[in-house]
Formats: sequence, C-alpha cells, structure tokens
Amino acid sequence: MRIKVDGKDFEVKPDENLLVNLNNLGFNIPSLCYMPGLKPEARCRMCVVEVNNKLITSCSHYPKEGMEVFTDSERVRRARKINAELLLAEHKDSCSQEHELCKIIDELALRETRFEPLKDYKLDLGEAIIRNNNLCINCGRCVQVCTNIQSVNAISFAFRGHEEHVTPVFEKDLSEVACTFCGQCLISCPVGAIKEREHLNEVLKALKDKKKHVVIQTAPSIRASLGEEFGLPPGTLVKGKMVAALRRCGFDKVFDTDLGADLTIMEEATELLERIKNNGPFPMFTSCCPAWVKFVEHFYHQLIPNLSTCKSPHEMLGTLIKKYYAKLNGLKDVIVVSAMPCTAKKFEAARKELKKMVDFVLTTREIARLIKYLKIDFVNLPDEDFDPALGISTGAGAIFGATGGVMEAALRTAYEIATGKKLTKIEFDQLRGLNGIKEGSIIINGKEIRFAAVSGLANTRELLKRMNKYHFIEVMACPGGCIAGGGQPLPKTKERIEKRMRALYEEDAKLPLRKSHENPIIKKLYDEFLEKPLSRKSEELLHTRYKKRED
Amino acid sequence: MQILRKTGLKGLEKAKRLGSRGVIRLLKEKKITGRGGAGFPTWKKWKMALNAQADIKYVICNADEGESGTIKDRFILMNNPEAVIEGIMIASYVLNAKESFIYLRGEYSYLKKPLEKVIRKLKVNIRIILGAGAYICGEETAILESIEGKRPHVREKPPYPVEKGLYGKPTLINNVETLADVAIALAFDDYNPELKLFSVAGNVTKPGVYELHSNIKLYDLINMAKPKKKIKAVYFGCFGGCIPYTDIELTTENVCRMGALLGSGTIIAVDESHSIVDVATNIAKFYEFESCGKCTPCREGTNRILELLERISVGKGKLEDIKTIEDIALVMRDTAGCGLGRSASNHILTALKFFRQEFEERVK
Repeated sequence: MRIKVDGKDFEVKPDENLLVNLNNLGFNIPSLCYMPGLKPEARCRMCVVEVNNKLITSCSHYPKEGMEVFTDSERVRRARKINAELLLAEHKDSCSQEHELCKIIDELALRETRFEPLKDYKLDLGEAIIRNNNLCINCGRCVQVCTNIQSVNAISFAFRGHEEHVTPVFEKDLSEVACTFCGQCLISCPVGAIKEREHLNEVLKALKDKKKHVVIQTAPSIRASLGEEFGLPPGTLVKGKMVAALRRCGFDKVFDTDLGADLTIMEEATELLERIKNNGPFPMFTSCCPAWVKFVEHFYHQLIPNLSTCKSPHEMLGTLIKKYYAKLNGLKDVIVVSAMPCTAKKFEAARKELKKMVDFVLTTREIARLIKYLKIDFVNLPDEDFDPALGISTGAGAIFGATGGVMEAALRTAYEIATGKKLTKIEFDQLRGLNGIKEGSIIINGKEIRFAAVSGLANTRELLKRMNKYHFIEVMACPGGCIAGGGQPLPKTKERIEKRMRALYEEDAKLPLRKSHENPIIKKLYDEFLEKPLSRKSEELLHTRYKKRED
Repeated sequence: MQILRKTGLKGLEKAKRLGSRGVIRLLKEKKITGRGGAGFPTWKKWKMALNAQADIKYVICNADEGESGTIKDRFILMNNPEAVIEGIMIASYVLNAKESFIYLRGEYSYLKKPLEKVIRKLKVNIRIILGAGAYICGEETAILESIEGKRPHVREKPPYPVEKGLYGKPTLINNVETLADVAIALAFDDYNPELKLFSVAGNVTKPGVYELHSNIKLYDLINMAKPKKKIKAVYFGCFGGCIPYTDIELTTENVCRMGALLGSGTIIAVDESHSIVDVATNIAKFYEFESCGKCTPCREGTNRILELLERISVGKGKLEDIKTIEDIALVMRDTAGCGLGRSASNHILTALKFFRQEFEERVK
C-alpha cells in the first residue's frame, strides 16, 4: 500500500498502525502511551499527525490507500508542544532526565512550562517497588501491562478528570495488595514514576565497614545486559568487566549465581524423579521465579503442593555462603549481596522463612549506578574471572536467564541421572525462543515426561487451564524470562531482549561444562557437606515452604 | 405538541408491515436525524447496524441527558414514555436485537419506576441501567463501557458501536427524542421532521421545553421565554459555546457559521447583568469536574483553563494568561479523544471571539 507522507510517496504495511509505519520509515513520531502488542488506548495524544485537515492519533489509525499524512505541520507541532507542556507541568519531582518524556521535551525545544504542579500524592512504598504519582503522566502503560500481560490487576485508574491516578485498590500500597513485584510496570514506565526500592546506600555502608566480609553474587542474565547501561550494544557479554568492576567497588568476593543454579537443578531434577517414582503431585512447577511464587500464593494457593520446594538459585548460594563458605574460611560477619535482573527478588530476600541468607538485592540498574557513582571506567576494564571455590560453573546455569532455560537444564540432568545414559543432543530447541508458551516431551526410562515452559503471567493463567497434560512446567513471570526482568536496563524493547537471549545461549554453547551434575564443585559440595540431593541437610538448607496469601 | 402524540403501538405495527428495509427507507424519506447533538441521519446508522454481520445485536436508548440546561429528554420520558419505548421496540424489531437497554441518567433515578411500569404494560423486556452521575456517560462508547461494568472511558473510534459495540457486538445507540420521533413518524403519516424541541434556560422568566420549527429566529424564541433584562449572549448548553444575541435562524448551519454548535437545541440566555468572564469560569469548573481523565489535553487542559480563568476572574490575571488559555483551548479542540474533550473548549474560544474585551478589562 502506498501513502503520501510530508509530500513524498512511501510504501507502508496496511496491517501495522500509522505510528509504527511512520517510525519504520524514519519519521520521528513521539509517543508516550503506545506499547507494541497492546491495543492502543491513545491517551497521551503526542503521536498526532495531520490527515484530511484533521489531527488523528497515529497509534490508533491504520494507513489507507492514497492517504496523505503530514507529520510535522505547524498545527501538529503546536499540539504536541502544548500537550507535552501540560504533561511536563505535572512532572517536576526529582526528574532523572533520562526517560522518554524528557527526550520528547528536548526534541520539541520545550525549555519551560507556564504552569506550576498541582498534584500532591503520597509515595506508594511497596516492599520492592515504589510508585511516585507526582511524576506520573497517566499514560496507562503500567495498568495495561499489569492487566493484560500479567493478569495481576494490582493497579488501575481511580477517580476522574485531573484527579485520575494510578493506584492499587482503595489507595493502598503495593505491599498491601496482590502484587507480584514482577516490575513489568516499572520497565514500561516512560517517565520513571515507578522505581525499585533501592538498597544502594545499605550496600555502600556495608562496603565501607572493614569488619564486614561482603560477598556479591551475580545472576546469569546480568552479564548479557549490564553493558547496555554503559553504552555497549545490547547482547554484549560483559562477564569479565562486570567481575572486575565489582571487585573495584570493594566487594571481598565476587561469585557466580550459576553455581546456585546448578544446585537448584540438582535438587529440582531429583525432586522431579522422586515425583515420577511416587506418581505426583503433577505437574511440578519450578520455583526459581519469586514473582510466580507470590502469584501462586495469591491466586492459586491450591497449587502450592505442586511448586518445587527448592529455594531459588541465589537463595541457595546465599545459604551456602553463610553456612558453608563462612565456616570454611572462619568468617564471622558475612554480608551477601545479590545482583539480580529482578525486583521481585527484593521481596523474596525479605521473606521471613528465608532467614536473611541474602542481605540485599540490587537490580542491574542499581549495579550500574554503583559502578558509575564510584567513577569506575567500566568499558575500559580488563576482563577478570569470578572468585574460585564457589566460583566455577557449568553452562547449564547460564541459560537460567532465558525463558525455557531452567527446564532445559533440569531435563539434561534428570535424564542423565535417571537413565545413566548420556544425552546425544543437549539443546532442547523446542524450549528456546521468545514464544509465550513452549512445550515438548522426553522419554525417561520408558515413561513419557511432558513439559512446558511459559513466561508472562497471563500466558501462565492460560496454560494452567490445561496443566494436567504436563509433568513439569517452568514459569517465569516476565515475558521472555529474566532477560526482560523488572530490574533490567531501560527502555524495554523486543530487540534488546532478543539480543540478550542470544548472548546467554551463546555462552552456554561455549562453556566446556554444560550439565549441572558434571560440575566438579557441585560434586565436591555434595561429597563434603550436603551428602546428596534431597538429603536431610539439603532439605534443611536448600528447600523452603510457601503460604497462602489472603488479599 | 407533536412529540407528545400517543402512538399506541401503531408505529410498531407499521414497522412489522414494512419489514426492516422498509422501515429504514421510511426513516430516510421522513428525514429523521439524531437529536442527541451530532445530527447524524438516523436511517444511515440503522442501516449500518442492520448490515453488520453478527449473531447478537443490541439496542440502547441514550437517556443520559447531562448537558447543562438540557431538559428535553426528561420532558419526553415524563410525558410520553410510551413513544420512546415503542421506538426501542421498533429498533429491536428491525435489527432482531437480543436485548435492549435504557441508559438513564443517574440524576433521573426518579424516572426509573414510572418507566418500568410502562415497560411492564407494553410487555417488553428492556433493561434500565442507571448511570452514576458522570457527564461523559452521555458519550455513546462510554455508555458501552459503563454497561459492561467498567470505568466509563471513551473507546477509540473506529470501530463504531454499530460495528463493534456492547460486548463487542453491533449496537445501535439512539437518543430519547430520536427514538420517540421514529415511533411517531411511523405511526402518523403527517409527521413533520421540521419540528424539534428546544430547551430554554438562563435569564428568562419562562424557561422550559419548546417545540418549534427548526428555522425559528433567536429573537422570537427568547421573547417567548420572556427575559427581564436585555440579553447579550446565548450559550448552546456548555459544549456548544456562545454567540452574541443576534437575530439568526436557529439552524445547525447558521450557528456553526458563527463558530458555535447548536447541538441538541439548548439555549441558555445571559443578560447584561452578568459578566462573560464569570460565566466562562463557571463553565470551566463544570468541565474540570466532568473530564473523565483519559487523555492529556482534556484532563490537563480543562484543569489549567479553570486555573487561569479563576485567576483572571479575581483580577489577578495577566494579559498572557488569555493567550495561554487560547493555546490550550485550540489544542484541546484539535487533539482530545472524544466529543466532550473536543468541545470542552468551545465555550472559551467563542467567548474570547465575541467578548474578548471583557476578559482584557478584567486583567487590567
């Protein structure tokens, strides 16, 4: 289909809206509320273009044959400028100048607004996520994501007119409602009105305290995304620089959570084999995603017995650091910090039953801020290796960061433990890629084990309707898995997520040790300390329990 | 009055004789147009709804009469509810609708019982849904959201309700007066489409509903309503904006030519004892309160216009403030998401066009 844009002819795709078409053609149409894949709500009115002497929102209109579009007429520019000015007026609280609204304001050369802010909302201090309605511009992306992508409905719009604002029910805090703290709202926000609850100050204080031995562990998916915060292209693996930078931040040891991931796999694969022996309960669900766990506790507590009792990888490693590594090295005051792509991990670390085995969780963004604050020249750092002892890992843990990865790693181990045979092909292609729901099956000792991997909580609700088909289901709350987690660098785009995913699988393919049960450290840990998977000691240290939440 | 003629199900009987296509042809011949304010030809809307392919269709009577000064629908619902309900029955017959609704303004809750009585008497199944007092619910897509139990936020059009309406099914939404007109036009061969209702309010001693020829002159209409003092301006509800008191024929085109909107025929007279600045501030307060909050220009714009007008009205404004108001008002008209938002600035744009001096005097 051909249309005329600013006097020139262009070929456009009739099934894409005007906004996407025009931006693909290189026109710079600003937009604050549109999100690819969701029904446009056309709230912000920034993406207007002139057609037939009328201004229309390009996000909610499709091209028509012979259409004549003006993207930058005087009228269009005036409309965008006034609307941006009106939004800017209500967005003055400690603005970080890095987000989408500020970029648009720069492009419109809008240096000041004629209005004073009128809003005065209290902060919503959720345990892992903080919302500041005084920065909010009511674009509605967070509500759309929470409702349509995650089906959690923790937040929605209330009141009307100028008083309309985003809020959990009855003006409660996020902590008081059924919020999973997945952070998808946060990474969708174009103005930085939603942020993680920061723990940087606490970590800095611990780092300065000479009496404390401060250990940091980094999640698999961070090495594929941290570089973005320092201007490196998405998908750049920065493991070496990351370790070097963290060491220069003053951490006494830098460990790889991959080891915790390998342990999780050992325990979880054994648990699966136990369930196969005892005929259930099926399906078994993975438990490494804390947002998913909280989702079950709120909405599907009848499925609590189906959840694997395994702690998540960083909690397993945290426990080993405090209970094993500390004793081995005669250390008294050990602080464990986890660098995670996730906001829900902050909530997880504060769960009472986990007894503070991890003291603080920092998101990828906080890690970047820490490195910048300490004026470390990240890009030019030499590559360094993780600390040994609890610092060698297999590749199986690395792919934990992508949806389908946990399942793939667990299946490799479960198959080989149960059959005593080697897998001829260790890549499970049906579990890779960014599809919301992926499934397959494997024959273990003559029995067909059907499995599925799902990411995104609305997708999960769909899968749960037919869950009885499966023996084993991996759930990641964030669409795409941890590489698209609530703690990852902004802004979220599909391209970035795909590149991060590719990087993680590349790392897996390159590593010599690719099965958790072949990791010599794991073997040593079981021999010297834990005895065997699901031993009494393992149950005590590496497993946990869940509770029904009434909200 | 024509609108009060008792149809006694004669309209419905005729509709059944004519068949669906026949009714639509007749509506076209009789030149019936929507009386809700937009003036869309009724036969076109019905034809689109009839042609829409779907297993289920709905009919909704829009009785959410929220425009300031407008009381004509209430007048009809109180005095000739049978005609309205017969209109709904005709529409349901034409579309073979599964269910029909009357979306009744929350403030008219006292009309619910009498209407239900008529519905029982006529042995039809029509559900009355009470609004909760939001002006935006007069907008047809907001009605749909409201009936579905959601926040009454307007939907992006297209798709139009006749294509995808209530619960995603083709839905015909017509105003009270339109549906009564349909029943009367079908029941009586001498139906006159030139007659319409005017709601008259403001500085007059005989406010109320007048049925007049649609080319009535403004002076004649105001004289009928007997003002005490000299009239200087008339407002067409809030959303239609104002014009200075001039003797024009009150047709949609004439009013439009002056930059205002006749809408559903509401005339609010303002006499010389009132300042247009105060009237504008009052109307701005109404819109600030009634904006639904969905889109930027209306949510923030109505609020800022009120802020500036309040400043001007107490003598603390500056000359630039008038310019700022105009800037916002023009962008609201250009970019707001629904009819409410686009017309919420008409009152101030027309006031500044015809009575700018009053504003400028107030800021000096």
